[in-house]
Amino acid sequence: MKWLPTCRETTALASRAMDARLSFADRLALRLHLAICRNCAQFNLQLHEMRRLFRAETGADDDAAALTADARQRIATELQKELDP
Amino acid sequence: MTTLDAHSWLAEHGDYLFRMARRQLHSDELAEDAVQETLLAALSARARYTGDASPRTWLTGILKHKIVDQIRRQVREVELPRDQDGEEAVDLLFKQDGHWAEPLRPWGNPHTEAELSQLRRVLDECADRLKPVMAQVFSLREVAGLETAEICKELDITPTNCWVLLHRARLFMRQCLELNGFSKAGAA
Repeated sequence: MKWLPTCRETTALASRAMDARLSFADRLALRLHLAICRNCAQFNLQLHEMRRLFRAETGADDDAAALTADARQRIATELQKELDP
Repeated sequence: MTTLDAHSWLAEHGDYLFRMARRQLHSDELAEDAVQETLLAALSARARYTGDASPRTWLTGILKHKIVDQIRRQVREVELPRDQDGEEAVDLLFKQDGHWAEPLRPWGNPHTEAELSQLRRVLDECADRLKPVMAQVFSLREVAGLETAEICKELDITPTNCWVLLHRARLFMRQCLELNGFSKAGAA
């Protein structure tokens, strides 16, 4: 890697920084690139935004999906089998 | 008393657990199985439930393990990607010199419940479009919040493979969200 990573390389660093602590050199390279590149800064921001959205606790609540009556009955039957063997 | 408990878990938390499982497994059938396994496991472990956490939190903790089990089973049936998989799609996002092919647009800032639920629908649709292994790694990391070391271990893939899959999944997710109108200009 050259002293300043390309945008493509920067997205890999930004992605990895979401999951682990980067080496000093990688951290520096990422910061330098983000400081001068509007697109990659935007990308980095959006990675954090996506995480926030996916982990939002409320996410599951307004979704209308629910167990079907069949599935509910099936599960209840299995539970009852466990309860009175 | 225990009878009441197990059935009231299903009545009170069944749908919630189902939705959580569905978001990560992308299948109604697998999500139903995960709920059933969770409640059965909770039933046999009920003596260990101390009441420190709310029942929902406790059940959610068990569900996470069941989801990981499901995903591990699925991964055995799915071929792991060759190293070039998805690489061509990434090539389209960048120019030869490594610069972005298209400028990135800032995202809108959804506030109303309607905007948020529209956004969640798009998020789920985009996640469904990822290649299976990529979707699984992405879900375990971003939805379930597992550490990458755990994911590597659970799915038996190398850390490098894991980083590459996550990087590609994030590039695709971002692109998919933008194409589906989640940008300032296109925000409804």
